[in-house]
This record gives sequence, structure tokens and C-alpha cells, in this order.
Amino acid sequence: MLLGIVFVISVGSFYLIHLLPGDPATVILGTGATPAAKAVLYQQLGLNKPIYLQYFTWIGNVLHGHLGTSFISQTPVAQTIRLAFPIDLEMIVISQIIAFGFAIPAAMKSARKPNGLMDRFLSAGSFTLLSVPPFIIIVLLVLLVAIKLNIPHTGPSSYVGLGQDWITNLESLALPSFTLAIASFVVYYRVLRSDLIATLQEEFITMARSKGISQRRIMWRHAFRPSSVALLGSAGVNIGGLLAGGFVVQYLLAIPGLGYTLISAINMSDYLLVQGIVLIVSVSVVLINFIFDFIIYLVDPRISRE
Amino acid sequence: MSNTLEETAVFEKPEKKEPMGPLFWICVGWIALNLLGAVFANVLPLTNPLFENYNVINAGPSIHHFFGTDDLGRDIFSRVIYGSRVSISVGIGAMLIGFGIGAPLGMLTAYRRGRLDTIVTTVMYVFLAFPAIIATIAILSFWTPRALFKIIVVIGLASVPLVYRVMRTATMNVATKDYVIAAKVQGATDRRILFKELLPNVAPIAVSFLLIGIASVITLEGALAFLGLSVNPPTPSWGNMINESRTVMAQNPWLVIFPSLALCMFLLCLNFIGDRLRQHFDVTEVKL
Amino acid sequence: MSENNIVEVENLQTVFSTAAGDVPAVGGVSFTLGRNETLGIVGESGSGKTVLSRTIMGLQPRTNVTVTGSVKINGFEVVGASEKEKRSIWGTEVAMVFQDPMTSLNPTMKIGKQIDEALRVRLGMSKADAKKRAIELLELVGIPSPAERYNAYPNALSGGMRQRVVIAAALACSPKLLMADEPTTGLDVTIQAQILNLLDELKERLQMSVVLVTHDLGVVATRTSRIIVMYAGRIVETGTTEQVFNRHRMPYTKALLESSPRVADASHTRLKAIPGRPPNLLKLRDGCAFAPRCSFATDKCHSQRPELEESVETGHKFACWNPLPITGAAN
Repeated sequence: MLLGIVFVISVGSFYLIHLLPGDPATVILGTGATPAAKAVLYQQLGLNKPIYLQYFTWIGNVLHGHLGTSFISQTPVAQTIRLAFPIDLEMIVISQIIAFGFAIPAAMKSARKPNGLMDRFLSAGSFTLLSVPPFIIIVLLVLLVAIKLNIPHTGPSSYVGLGQDWITNLESLALPSFTLAIASFVVYYRVLRSDLIATLQEEFITMARSKGISQRRIMWRHAFRPSSVALLGSAGVNIGGLLAGGFVVQYLLAIPGLGYTLISAINMSDYLLVQGIVLIVSVSVVLINFIFDFIIYLVDPRISRE
Repeated sequence: MSNTLEETAVFEKPEKKEPMGPLFWICVGWIALNLLGAVFANVLPLTNPLFENYNVINAGPSIHHFFGTDDLGRDIFSRVIYGSRVSISVGIGAMLIGFGIGAPLGMLTAYRRGRLDTIVTTVMYVFLAFPAIIATIAILSFWTPRALFKIIVVIGLASVPLVYRVMRTATMNVATKDYVIAAKVQGATDRRILFKELLPNVAPIAVSFLLIGIASVITLEGALAFLGLSVNPPTPSWGNMINESRTVMAQNPWLVIFPSLALCMFLLCLNFIGDRLRQHFDVTEVKL
Repeated sequence: MSENNIVEVENLQTVFSTAAGDVPAVGGVSFTLGRNETLGIVGESGSGKTVLSRTIMGLQPRTNVTVTGSVKINGFEVVGASEKEKRSIWGTEVAMVFQDPMTSLNPTMKIGKQIDEALRVRLGMSKADAKKRAIELLELVGIPSPAERYNAYPNALSGGMRQRVVIAAALACSPKLLMADEPTTGLDVTIQAQILNLLDELKERLQMSVVLVTHDLGVVATRTSRIIVMYAGRIVETGTTEQVFNRHRMPYTKALLESSPRVADASHTRLKAIPGRPPNLLKLRDGCAFAPRCSFATDKCHSQRPELEESVETGHKFACWNPLPITGAAN
């Protein structure tokens, strides 16, 4: 099943170039290409061979790690991706740590005292934040932080790898990670809270209560595990979405992650790079969903283990 | 006066449902206001949104310009109102396409099942696995020049798999209920079942999802604007107004605030209405 | 509190505040239960018996519920106690067996853990000791290969087995009082007898008092020493099992008895259902709550609610203006 999806995605990514108006050579080289240049390209890419053969050659290369060499930047696509991907990963990891770190305790607290002061405040707040798209959050944050408070805000030149200078690294990623964290927090808090409240109505909670077990223990040992299923499900979807959707945030702050690279590639008509990124990102999203499905399977014994 | 047997019945006619609350109607009103503004922008006494008046660059809010002006002297208030046209038409247009294709397909395959269902569902699920945002970005960036209808079509088509899945799941939940099977056993035709049993019960979920879907689509359009993939300037859209304002944010924060407010409030109202409708019709919702 | 009594209930009332109004689920119940006695609480759905059993334990929901009156379990006053205080008797003095074993066990937790949890948390046993005791308990309730089953999840067990696990968990800390709320209603008929016999056995071995809540008269006939009949949240008749079955005075009790199918009846005997339905507690009228459905009702029955009064035999009480005549013969 998984393989099937990956297969189709690869076909889709590959076919992207052929989907565009005009023939692939013009697409890659631009409209000003001379017939001679086109002929050379045809030869190189084997564009004169039937489509399915082209696809297999391409897939063969991909599996060896060769995604082609960009005509624009003259660097191998795989290398560009390899440099950019970890940045996305780091952003996602940081944002999720923050999001879960706040959402889980908050949801537990709210479910214990539903409609209490904190619950109402958080629920109203998170609902409102739901309606504020991440790009607006970023813009407003930048407005607030960089301009009003006069804190210098960073650009691609100031991004630095983890290995070298982790303080600057964290500084530069703080803003985008925080924005993604807010968006994630809102979803996680609502899902977990609603699931917890539903679980707390169940009979086995009353039974645990009747055994004389403390409220705290009931929340964490009895209620959390069944309720985490929905949370994990939405986490899978959310993280997949973050990978794709975090692009705008990256682009705005000029963080050289996959998103920024993709947008730049599009702007520069670097189709081979686009093709490579689309493939990698799509496969990653599918993989992430798959991993989370697996985790859910581990957590909830009710799911069939045939 | 004695108690009659009937009066001892436990189940009385359900009292009238809880009213939706003032907040709900305020949101409805806001949405209606925006809609009216978008439709009748032409006939309203608004400054031309494209008119550049170099005398009043970056002015703050005033009587003449409710929201102030931008760095080219254009009136922000009228640009916000005209801008709503883009967002609203994208929202409604894309969802019309999405629902127009996805909903009937979803309901039909959920009800009929069989080979057709398996094929269509597999195809749809494969499309679902592919992150729609990337596909949208890729296609729109290559399909130049920019045009509103292109955006609507691409986003609309991209939303079909999701609509399909939601409607199919909802219909399956209803179709397996006993009262539908009872109707079938009584000899009701498929057509009758679809319209009288399934549709009314799926409708609330559909409407709620529709509203939330419109909100997502509008958000997507906003994001696209930031990537330069929405309508071209000088046509105002909430998205590209916010995007353009980034460069002069420091001098003229109003440029950011008003379109952002307009966008967020519209989205908030949509989400709120969608959520309330879902609560209202979902009898299994836990009430505290 | 008398030394011989394990539970003393006085004028217990439970009121639920709902959006539609106040619902008096339990209205003024009083009784006592002695040590090693078994009490049956009988009534239709909606009679308030489940609410009563939970309120006695103090297990009612924490919000939108008001409880007045007094319940003393072994001297401990339950009404008005804080959750923390109530926890001190839950499991160790009084425990409950719930109706539906499908939903009363945590589906994501191994059954062994659900049993020894109480042992570790309440009695402070070590992990190893608790596990040993849990396995002993599993054996006590008749679960085969208890050591292996310790690691099973609830969904791997049949309904009857699950209920045994529930019982084991309830008995873990050796409570003196066991509340069994419809413990067999969700089970197959053949399993029902097994579980009830198990409860009888355990009651003897562990010297417990049991409160058996059910709608099924067949269940209480041979297993209880005293019975309370409930209707619309109040006690309408109470006495020893023998008194209630053979010389009941309240027409509702008679109707209840007549509506149960008996093996002795000829086949195809029509079941005598009680006409009408239980009253809507939101709209309780004056007079006896059962009057609208009672074939013996008089005008007084419709206008004034009867209080419990003692019959000719001691210990046998009923609430009725127009009671059935005193009979000496068996029913």
C-alpha cells in the first residue's frame, strides 16, 4: 500500500515536466534555447526515448541518489536537498517540542476542570488563533519583535548550522519555530481536550475512581493513553502539513530550508530542482503519516492485530 | 384531575432546540456584510482602489480615508473592500468545484459500494497522500500569467479528494444506520433513499465542513499571495496587500493591520459558524 | 452507628440539575444493612436504583449533583465528604462491580495491572507482591491460567471472563461492602448464573455484605436476605425476601412479580407487562408516582403521596393507600 502510493508520487513528480506547456527541452532551457542546444539536451536526457523508459532511467538514478544536476546552479540536486532538508527537520522538531510541551499539560488541566477559567480562556484563545494564518502570525511577530522592540531579525546570511554555533542557530530558527509551534499547539490542544473530556465520561474511569485512585493518576495513567490516539492522528497530519506549509514561513524569513529553496527554484525556473524537492517532500509526508499510523497501532491494543 | 397514561410518557416532544446564541448571529451578520461589500463594491461610494494620490502617501486613518492610505496613496478602506472580492470568490468558487465534484461522488460511492467504490476511493486516497499545497504551488507557478479563475480551478480541484473523503465517511456512517436499512427493506428506491434519508442527515456535516473549507481555501489564497502566486498587483487582495505591506511596515503599520484584521475576522466568523453548526446538529456531542 | 450495621442510610436524596430543570433521581431513601447481609435493590430502568447505589458509595458525578441526607459506611459519613476523604474508603471498605464489563475495564491497560493498581497505590505493596496477589485474585474468581492472563488485554477476554476480572479488581483490597450494580445484565444467561454463584461464594469466603442492584427478580429471589423495591426514586416496599415475594402489599411489587417469566408457566403464556411507562422525574405530580399505571388506584392515590408504613409483620414496610390484602398463603 505504502509502496503503491510512493510509486504514484514518483510518477507524478517525474511527469511534472511533461505536464507543462511546451516540450521538455524548452521548459528546461527556456524559450530562448537554440535548436542545437535542444538537440544536445535531448541526447543527454534521453528525451527521444519512450516515456516509460525515461521514467525507469530516472527512477534508477533516484534510487542511487542521483536526482540530476540543476542546469541553473550547476550543483547536483541531491546535494542541494541534503543541505536544506535538515533545517526543515530542526524547525519541525523544535516547534513540535514546544507545541506538545504546552498542549498536553494544558489540555489535561482543562479536561479536569472543564469550563473553568483556564479552560474558557484557552479554548477561546486557541479558537481565535486557529483563524489566524501562520503567515499573518509571522508578519505580526516580525512587526512586533523586530521593529517595535528593535531586535535585529535574521536572514539567510545569519543562519548557521547547529554544529558550528548553536546559539545563533537557535536564535535564527526561534521565530519560525515559534510560529509553527503556535499553529500546532492550537490543533493539539483542541483535539486532546475534546478527546479527554469524552474519555473521562467512560465507565472505566468511574471504576478507577471507585478503587480509590487519585485524580492525577487517573488522568495520566487511565485517560491519557486512550485519548492519545486522536492526538497522534492529528499530529501525523499536522506534521505532514508543516513540512509542506512551513514553506511560506521559511520564505518570509529567508531561512534556507527546503521551502525557501523550492520557491527560489520555481522563481528561477530550475525545474529539475523543483522536481527533486517535490518528490522528496511528498515521499516524506507519506512516510510521516505511515510512521504515525504505526505508533497509533502500538499504543492502542483495540486496533486489530490480525 | 387524574394522571392519564399518556401523561406519564417519559419521552415528550423535544423542546425547542437551544438557541444559537448572539455571538453566532453576530458572525453571520459580519459574513453577510462582507458579502454585500464584495458584491456591491462598484455601486458604493468608494474611492477607486487603484487611484494613486501622491498627496496623501502613508496617511493614517482619517475622515477621508477610513483606513488610511498606502505608500502609493491608494485608499486602504476601498482596497480592503475590493480585496474581499478575491478572497470570497476564491473561497466560494473553489469550494463549489470541490463539493460539486467531490460530494456527489463521495455519497454515491459510499452508498453503492462495489467495484466503482474501490477504484475511485483508491485513486482519491492516492491523491490525498500527495500534499496538495505543493501541487498547488507547483502548478500555479508554472501556469502563467496569473488569473483569478486559474487559482479557483486549481485550488478547487485540489480540494476534491478531501471533500470526497469527508462526504464518503459521513454518508457511510448514515447509510449503515438501521433506519436506512429499514427504508430499503420497505422497498424505497435508491433515489428516494438518497434524497430523503441520506441527504438530510449528511447535510449538517456537509455544511459545517463547507464553511471550514472555505476558510481553509481563503487562507491558502493568502499564503499563495505571499509567494507571489495570487492575483497580480495592482488588483487588491487581502493576501497581497499584507504581503506588499511588509516592506513599509515600520513606517505605516496600518497597511498591515487593516487587511490582516479583515482577513482574520472573516475567517474567525466562518470557523465559528461552522463549529457551532456542527455542535448544534451533532447529537452525540458531549454536553457539559 | 450500630455495631452490627455496615451501612446506615437516612433520608438520602440525590438531585441532578439539568438544563431542563432539577431531577430528583433519589428522593428520601432510608435503610440499614447489617454485616454479612445481602440486600437486593429492585426496580425498573429509571427507578433510581443505579443512582442510589452510586450515591451510597459517593461515586455520583461531581458536578451538577446535590446530595443531602446521611450515609454511614462503617461509621464513615459519605455525604458531604470531600473526594479525597472518600478515597480513603473506596476500595478498602467499599467497592463496586459495574454493569458492563466491556466498558468498565480500561481497554488500553493489561488486566493484571488493573487489579494490582489498587494494591500498589492503596496498600503500598511492592510490584512483585502486588502481581502475586493479583494472580491469586484471578484464580479466586475462577480465571484459568491466571499467570498468563495477567498480561492479557480486556479485548482478548469473553464477557464472563471480563466480569470476573472486574470482580477481582473490586475485591483486591478486601472491602467489607460490595455494591454490585446489575452485575449480570450484560451477560449471556448461562454466564449470569455462574457470576452470581461466584459472588455468593466470595461473599461467604470473604465475609462481605453485598448490595445487589437489579431489575431481574429472579436474581434476588434466592440470593438476598432483604429486598428494597424502588419506584421513581423512592422505596415503595421493603422487607425480607420472603416477605416481599410472598406477602407483598404494594400493587407495584405484585405487577413486577407478575411480569417476570417463570419456568413453571405453561409455554406461550403471555407476559403481563405493566402498562404505561415510568414517570418523567422532571414533572412529578402529586400523589403516588405509580398511580397512573396502577389498577388499584383510588382518588387519594392520585392526590397524596403515601409514606412508608410498617405492615403487620416487623421489618416489612410499604407505601400505599390501597394496599393488597394481607394474605397468609404463598403467591
